This record gives sequence, structure tokens and C-alpha cells, in this order.
Amino acid sequence: MKYVIIGAGVAGIEAAKTIRQNDPAGEILMISADTCVHSRCMLHKYISGERDEEGLDFTEKDFFRRYQVEWKKGIRVQKISPDAKEIYLDSGDSVSYDKLLIAAGADSFIPPVGELRKASNVYGLRNLPDAQAIVKEARQAEQVLVIGSGLVGLDAAYGLLERGKKLTIVEMADRILPMQLDARAARAYQERFEKAGVRFVLERKASQAVCEADGKIHKVILDNGDEIPCDLIIVAAGVRSALACLEGSGIAAERGITVDASMKTSAPDIYAAGDITALSGIWPNAADQGRVAGKSMCGMNASYTDTYAVKNTINFFGLVTLCVGRIREEEGDQVQIREDRRQYKRIILRDGKVEGILFQGNIAGGGIWQYLIKNKLDISKIKKDVFDITYADFYHTGQRGTYQWVSE
Amino acid sequence: MKRIIVEYEKCDGCKNCSAACMQAHRETPGTIYDLDLTDPNNESRNFILKDGSGRYRPVFCRHCDEPECVKSCMSGALCKDPESGHVFYDETRCGSCFMCVMNCPFGVLKPDTVTQSKVIKCDFCVNSGGEPSCVASCPKKAIHVEEV
Amino acid sequence: MNQCYGCSTCKSADKPLEQFIAGLPMETSHHRVDSQSTKCAFGLQGVCCRLCSNGPCRITPESPRGICGANADTIVTRNLLRAVASGSGCYIHVVENTALNVKNTARTKGEIKGVNTLNRLASVFGIEEEDIHRRAEAVADAVLKDLYLPEYEKMALTEKMAYKPRYDRWKELGILPGGAKSQVFHGVVKCSTNLNSDPVNMLLDCLKLGISTGIYGLVLTNLLNDVVLGEPEIRLAPVGLRVIDPDYINIMITGHQHSMFTFLQNRLTDEDVKAKAREAGAKGFKLVGCTCVGQDLQLRGAHYTEIFDGHAGNNYTSEAILATGGIDAVISEFNCTLPGIEPICDQLKIKQICIDNVAKKANAQLKEFDFQNRPAVTDQIIDEIVEAYRERRGSVPMNLMKDHGNDNTLTGISEASLKKFLGGSWQPLIDLIVAGDIKGVAGVVGCSNLTAGGHDVLTVDLVKELIARDIIVLTAGCSSGGIENCGLMTPEAAQYAGPKLRAVCEKLGIPPVLNFGPCLAIGRLEIVATELAEALNVDLPQLPLVLSAAQWLEEQALADGCYGLALGLPLHLGLPPFITGSKTAVQVLTEDMKTLTGGQVIINSDARESADILERIILEKRRGLNI
Repeated sequence: MKYVIIGAGVAGIEAAKTIRQNDPAGEILMISADTCVHSRCMLHKYISGERDEEGLDFTEKDFFRRYQVEWKKGIRVQKISPDAKEIYLDSGDSVSYDKLLIAAGADSFIPPVGELRKASNVYGLRNLPDAQAIVKEARQAEQVLVIGSGLVGLDAAYGLLERGKKLTIVEMADRILPMQLDARAARAYQERFEKAGVRFVLERKASQAVCEADGKIHKVILDNGDEIPCDLIIVAAGVRSALACLEGSGIAAERGITVDASMKTSAPDIYAAGDITALSGIWPNAADQGRVAGKSMCGMNASYTDTYAVKNTINFFGLVTLCVGRIREEEGDQVQIREDRRQYKRIILRDGKVEGILFQGNIAGGGIWQYLIKNKLDISKIKKDVFDITYADFYHTGQRGTYQWVSE
Repeated sequence: MKRIIVEYEKCDGCKNCSAACMQAHRETPGTIYDLDLTDPNNESRNFILKDGSGRYRPVFCRHCDEPECVKSCMSGALCKDPESGHVFYDETRCGSCFMCVMNCPFGVLKPDTVTQSKVIKCDFCVNSGGEPSCVASCPKKAIHVEEV
Repeated sequence: MNQCYGCSTCKSADKPLEQFIAGLPMETSHHRVDSQSTKCAFGLQGVCCRLCSNGPCRITPESPRGICGANADTIVTRNLLRAVASGSGCYIHVVENTALNVKNTARTKGEIKGVNTLNRLASVFGIEEEDIHRRAEAVADAVLKDLYLPEYEKMALTEKMAYKPRYDRWKELGILPGGAKSQVFHGVVKCSTNLNSDPVNMLLDCLKLGISTGIYGLVLTNLLNDVVLGEPEIRLAPVGLRVIDPDYINIMITGHQHSMFTFLQNRLTDEDVKAKAREAGAKGFKLVGCTCVGQDLQLRGAHYTEIFDGHAGNNYTSEAILATGGIDAVISEFNCTLPGIEPICDQLKIKQICIDNVAKKANAQLKEFDFQNRPAVTDQIIDEIVEAYRERRGSVPMNLMKDHGNDNTLTGISEASLKKFLGGSWQPLIDLIVAGDIKGVAGVVGCSNLTAGGHDVLTVDLVKELIARDIIVLTAGCSSGGIENCGLMTPEAAQYAGPKLRAVCEKLGIPPVLNFGPCLAIGRLEIVATELAEALNVDLPQLPLVLSAAQWLEEQALADGCYGLALGLPLHLGLPPFITGSKTAVQVLTEDMKTLTGGQVIINSDARESADILERIILEKRRGLNI
């Protein structure tokens, strides 16, 4: 059996591991544009100089040898032929497969504003090469403009602050991290970034940007006409699944590749996992999809069921935030807040169930809230302040001393 | 694998297991007598919680069969050791994202109080011979290690 | 399977005793060490507070203050002051009863056995009474008067009894005690709920309590006892379980108030009473020494050769003494009478009688000592004991330990008898110290506990380390009981001393460890220290003298320890007195005390390390004196 995996992100790596655990003899080939296995969640640490390439590797030591995975790196897949069971590489080679996993991830989306897509000093932050290019460009750059204040935008800013750059962040919404935080929690981060020297321009969009003679954009004009001078622009406006290689393959895709619960695509023996499915943009889910796909490829029954993906952790300047579930308040919600000088906690309750939590400053033991939210447990009978609920209220031990959840 | 088993009905909430855990993981040399009980750097990996009826519920890391913390780790800092079955944490690899805290369904994990940069996690006292300190410290003999 | 109660007894420095206890069919404290080995960390550090209904509050990184706001420093020092006040109260109770007994003896024209001591006290107090009984009464009254003063009036005898440089320093520090009983009251009030929160203020109160405890509870109790019970005389005596002679009706005595036994002791050797014993089938009565009152009796044993069999063992030997089956009754008047003896007494039909209400044991008959009615009460007690003897002998198995202990422990050492032994002057001792034949002096005092390595383990190991370094050891308290049973107080023990000390011991025919008797005699050690300092014209902290309460047990020991600190002496403890949770308390006691009084607390549970530290201090002090 020959397994081919496109992509060396967490979905691909986890799939390879799972396949090896279940098929000791099969041939596994991994093909990736990435030349280093790296955790995309730590690119900001590369930009800041805290870690080198090696420090971003999230796999065990000797991963490829230990799991007997052949790795062709620095190679892109140009075309997939499900009929011929062949894939065609930009190196000119072609590779056949028995089972194929497409885990090629996603690419940064650069919006068609002015000449952003054309300029040589505009970067997304998605891969190690992005981070490497940013670091290189930053050497000559004084002023950096970050478009978008989501997690990626702030990651980039955080990393560049360490390099002493002057940063401006433009955000369409009325607050930073608008997908994850409410205004109060967002303000806490905004203040910390501002204290570190970052300037925020909220409720504004970039509307004009023209390349100058050197091929770079040196100022961006906002929708209110303000000009922001810059030597380096980082666009953090989301990602798009890397679907280019599917062209002509007939594999069904919308925003991402369409998969069933076993991570199987519309084409026989072809699976997909990770960001390319557009199911979720977060690490644990991509890893899970990779493991499910790996099992499916080995002919086992497996399905991706823990699909809950409305969850995030944020950590800047030692201020940690956990947000799970719905952040935006709706009519009929019961919102409870606990706030003091060390923490801000907000819980949205509805019909005795937890809809969403936002914990900032103190997330100790916060893992139970994801369980409560995604399993829609009724907590109305617990005789405690909602903030004091812990696993103790659902405590049960099963066989072999495992913990289980029991609600009364 | 070996697992710390707690007969929770026996727990009296004395927190001696927590103090023993703090002692086992302190960075300074010394005995239980001079363990600084006011220093937030000394953190327990186990937690004596109470349910709504006031009953003590000791929450200790289970070193789960399918650990959610490991599954969610984006840096490779958390690994389930194939030999012992224990989940170990490598502080030097940790990226401080705390997705493990978010994903542990039993709320066992927490960021460290002082720096909020590392995870406070049971290591089965592997550096002191793998005999968890909490076990010997329990006056009710409610904590023991079992092969499961 | 055998009949042993349990095989997990703790270690003892006394190996034969350890084996004996391990083989007993009944439970003793030595058996319980194991099942109590899990100690609460918060308790160990002294940061558990139960002073109000909000508690118990404990200090953790998440909860650095109790609900009331008390931090670790406040909680620890409050607990310590509470313990010291309580411990002081115990000693003040002892001196109060002793003084009352002297007074009553004097008023009833009773026997004054220690005329020299009486005259010494009268002279120090400035009492000029021709009549010996009026002199004794005036001495007792002077003590009692001070004890009953209010807290705001300083006690008059403090200045007379204390070494002047010390007194001056205490005055400077504002730690001169008011009336000793009121001082306890003051301390107890101070550490109650939501009063004092100032750790240093409370620690200074501990020193005050230390001074009143030391001068009155220790020094004066000894001397008052000498007046009515007789002065110690140096002699060799048997010690250990071997002293129990089953041919007699044996009464084990426990406590600290020797003067309460005066009448009984005499009565037991009266012909009519001896006849009662003979009638029951015994040769007569014997007192078997246990705990400090036994040490006190041993100290004065020269006066009581007929009635006193010898000292059998210390507090944690008491269960073993009873388990021999050879004891028919226990008369207790104070601590350290372990609650653990009660089931053994029940099992072996041993009569328990308490003669002081403060120490009433659950299963004991209370026959309160009453000076007026002492003939009647004493006869009742004797009849009860004879009855017990009749009931139990024959039906209770004997498990004697004839080989335990030794026959030639040097005893009877006091500040007066030792000086007399040296030819009436301290000069010979001073010369030996100056010449370096004796490097220094260590008072190894206090109790025995079971947790610092086991029963007497740290004490005995430390003593061996010290004498091997040519440091002479003086003992007082239950530590004496353990050390003597291990043979270190026999002249032959000179072989364990370093070469110089050994030569001195062999020349003088004395052991390298000199037994001053009960814990009360810590007061005698301090008289010796003071007289040495006087002879050298230096203050106490300058002497090459250290104290160790290696196996301190009780609150009383903490009050004693505070006296040692007030005197400016280095005080070693094997286990910390539940203070390590407070950085301030540790800092003040182990460091700042050096500049306050000259004293310091040293906490170390390793014998060799402790000896190294104490030796280092002694060498420093020697350098300070240019010797």
C-alpha cells in the first residue's frame, strides 16, 4: 500500500503517524512545499527572534525516520489525476498513490486593494517562508503597517515589536480581535500593545496603495483619506484554502475541499484534512482531522466528530485569554460577569446552558467550559455561582481511574 | 501504565497532597519545613475542589489514554511517553499558547501563576524516582498508584 | 505469628529498649509514630490558624492571608506566643506549688534539708531572719509575691537573681517581666483572635516569658526544692529498667513537682507502712523514677537510698516501664505523663493516682495534694496501692528487663555539688577550657521525642559528636534519661570523648556527659554559666557555651528555649517549633536575635551537621575571648 500525503502541517504529520501506527509495512510519502516542519502557531516567535527554524518543529525527534516516512520537501503539487491515481509535481516528476491525503493547508489572502498584490513589500503570515521574508524585509524597514488585528495580525505585530519596529495596525471593526473578544477584553490587549508603542486605527479600511519606483508601497491611504507611511506591510485578512492543485481533478470543493465525516473527498481513495477543508482554522481540529483521515486511509472506521471549533486561546504580554463559544450577546441571553484586577470573566447563559465564555487573566482549569458548551450540559441545578463551577460538579471516576463526566 | 488513583470518598481536604506536590516541584533546595507557602512560584499540580454539596473532589491529572492536551499541543511540548504511558511536558518546547488548558476536559491544567508562560502539569514526580509525592503525603491513605 | 502488638516501632538510641518495645504485646507511642508519620505541612510550618470560626485558615500561594487578613508572620508568631505562654504557665505552676510547699513546711516547722541553699537564697534576696523556719518562709513569700504581681509591676527578684550585664540588656530591650502569672495572662490575651498582629512585638513577649520562666520556673524551683528535699550529692547510681525490683510494691512517679512527694516518701519508709507491704507479701515500697520528677529524685538520691530504686527512664520509656509488669501504681502530678500509659495501666491493673488536678488522667483517681490533710490523704493513697498490689500480683505477667541500663551512672550534679567537686572554685574548669582540654560546654537539655530520628536518637548522636570534639556536655531534662540509659554518663564513657576531654575525664573519674537531672535543672546549668561568666568577667553570650534542645517536645521546652535566647545563648533545635512558615519569625529567631540578646536559634536535625555548627560557634567564642 502506498500512501501519499500532500502537506507537512499538523494534519499531514498526524495522518502519517496514524497510518504508521496502523500499517507498519505501508509506504508513506510526504510531499510539501514547506522545507521545514513547523508550527504555524509559533511564527511570531520566529519573527521576534525568540526561536530559530528548528525551534518551530513540533514533531518528535527523528520523526521521519522513526515513522519511516519519505519526505519530498520544497515541492509543490501541480495537478492531481484521480483516474490515473497520479499526482504531478512542479519538479516535473509524477508520483502514483494507492491512498492520497490532501493536507496542503491554506494561503494568506491579500485583498485586491490598490496594488497590495503587486508590491514586493507586502506579506501575509502563514508559513515559515512568509516569516523569513518578513524578517528579511524588516531589516530595512522602519515603519510597519499591519492590516487586520486578528490573531495573525497581532502575532506579526508582537514579533516585530521585539525587533523594535514602529507599528500601525488598521482594523475594520471597532475593536481588535473582533472575532474572539468583546470590547472590554479587547481593550486590555489594545492598551498593552499601545503601551509597547503600537498605534491602532480602528473602524478604517485601506483604500489606496500604490507601488513606487522601487516596487514597494510606502504609504497606504485609508477610507477617510488619512495616509499611513510604511516600509513593510503585513496583511492579515484571513486565509483561503490552497485549492490550486485541484484544478481539473474533479474533486468537489467549495470554500474548501468537501469531505465526509471520514475525511473522504468526492474522489475515490482521496482524503483531505486540515485547513484545506475549511472546516476549522484551529490546530487541535486540524490534528484531529489528520488522525481521522489516517485511520480512514488504513481502511478503519473513523469519523471526525469533535468538530467544535469556536474556541481560542490568546496570549500577549503574559495576558492570557480563553474564549469558547458565542461571544456576541443576543437577546434572551443571561450574561454574567466577574471582574477584578486580575481577571475578567464573562459567561453567556441561555436556558440553563452555557453558550459562550470569555476568560481573561485567569484561565486556570478552563478546559471544562469547552466540554460544557459543546455538549450543551444543563448547569441550572448546580447550587453554586456559575463562575465557581468546576469539574468537581461533574466528578465521576470510571474503570482504571479515568475521569468521566456525570451531570445530575 | 501506572496511574494515581484517588479514593475521593476518603478525602478530608487537608491539602497535604498539594503541599507535597509543591515541595516536589519547588526550584529551590530544602525541606517541607522551609517550603515557601506564600511564594506563587510554588504551585501544586493537584487540586482539592468541592462540589455543590461541599464534598471534596480531588482533581489529579489522569495521564489520559487519549490525552486531549497532547492532541492540542502545537509545539510538541506535551507528549505521551510510549513506555510509561505518562504525559510529559517539556517546558523548553512550549509555545505558551495554552490550547492544552482549553482542551483538558477535566480542568487539570493551568498556566503558571507568575509568568503565565508555562503549563502546570503533573509529571508523576519522574525526577524523584517516579513515586508521586502526593501518595505518601495523604494522611487518609486515599491516594495510591495502580497499574491500570 | 507472635504476640507482638506491631512490628513497626520507631527507632531508639537505646537499642535493647527498642527491641523490648517492638516485642511488647501492647501498643506504645513507639508504635504510633509510623501511623502518624504523615504530617500536615501547614501545621509543620505553623501556618494553620484556628483562632476563630472563619478557620482553619491556611497559607498557600493563592491564599497568603487568612480570612481576617492575618499573614503567615502573624499566624506563626501568634501560635508560638500561645505555646510559649502555655509552657511558661506550666513552669510557673510548678514554682508556685513548690514555693507554697516550702512556705507550708516552714510554717509547720518541718524539716529544712538544704540549709546551705536556704542561706544562699536568703542572702541573694536580702532576707535577714535568724530563725531558720521564718527565713524559709520569708524566702518562699518573696517568690510568691513576685509570681502574683500584676503584669505592669516588674518582679523584684529578677534583678537579684540575674547576672547584671544580662539584666541591663533586658531592661534596655524592655523585656523585663511583670508578675510571672500575669505575664502568662498577658501573653494569652495578646495572641487571641484579632488582637496583636505584630510578629516582633509578640516575639519580644516570648523573651519576657522566657525570663520569668527561667528565673522563677527553673532556677528558683530547683533551689526551693533543695531547701526542703535536700541538696544534690555526687554519686553513682543504677539506671534503666533494671532498677525495678519485683519483690517490692513499686510506685512509678511522673511529673515535675518533687516537693509534692516529700511526705509520701518519708511515710513509705515508716515501719507501720512497711508492715502493710509485708502483710501483702512484699518486702516494702519502692519509688521507680520516671520523667523529670524521677530525675529530681535521682539527683537527690543520696537522701533517699531506702525508698528510691533508681531512675528507670524518660517520658517515652514510661510505657515500657509499665509494660514490665513490675509497677503496681503510677502517681502523677504533672507532665510528661503520657495519655498512652492509660490503656497499659488498665490492661496490667496498675493503679493510677493523680495528686494535682492540672494533670488529671482520664482513668486515674484524683487525690489532690493537700498540705493540711496530707497524712490522711497519703494513707489513703498507700492503702489503694497496697490493694492494687494484692489484686494484680500473680495474675499479671512479668516481663522484666534485668539487664537494661547500667549500675554506675554518675548523678547528683548541681551547680553546688560540681563546684564542691572541683575544690570549691570554678577555676579548675576555667583552666581546662582556657587550655583547650575542654573546647567548650554544651548543655544538651529538654525532652525526648520520637520524631527527630526516633527515641533519643538525635540527642544521643549529637552528644557523641560533641564529646568526640572535646566539648563537655551537661544535661538536664528527659534528654538525661535517654543519655544515661545509653551509658554515656558512666565513667567508662570517657572512651567516646575526644583525646583531650577523655584525658580530663579519666583523670577525674567522671563521664564526659554530666547529668544535672530534670529539665528544671536547666536553671542549674545557667547558674553554672553565670558563675563562669562572672569569674571571667564577661557576659554570657561571650562564653564558649551552647545549648541544644535537640529533641524538644513540649510547649514548656519552648519557654525554656526563650530563656536560653534571653540569656544570649545559641540554641539548637532538632525540629523547628512550627515557625518556618514565617520569614520574619525565622529571621528574628535565627539572625536578628544575635544583635538583640546575643542568642540565636539553630535548626538542624542532623547530628553531625548540628555538632559542626555548634563547634564552629564555640570556636568563634573562644577566639572572641582570645583563648
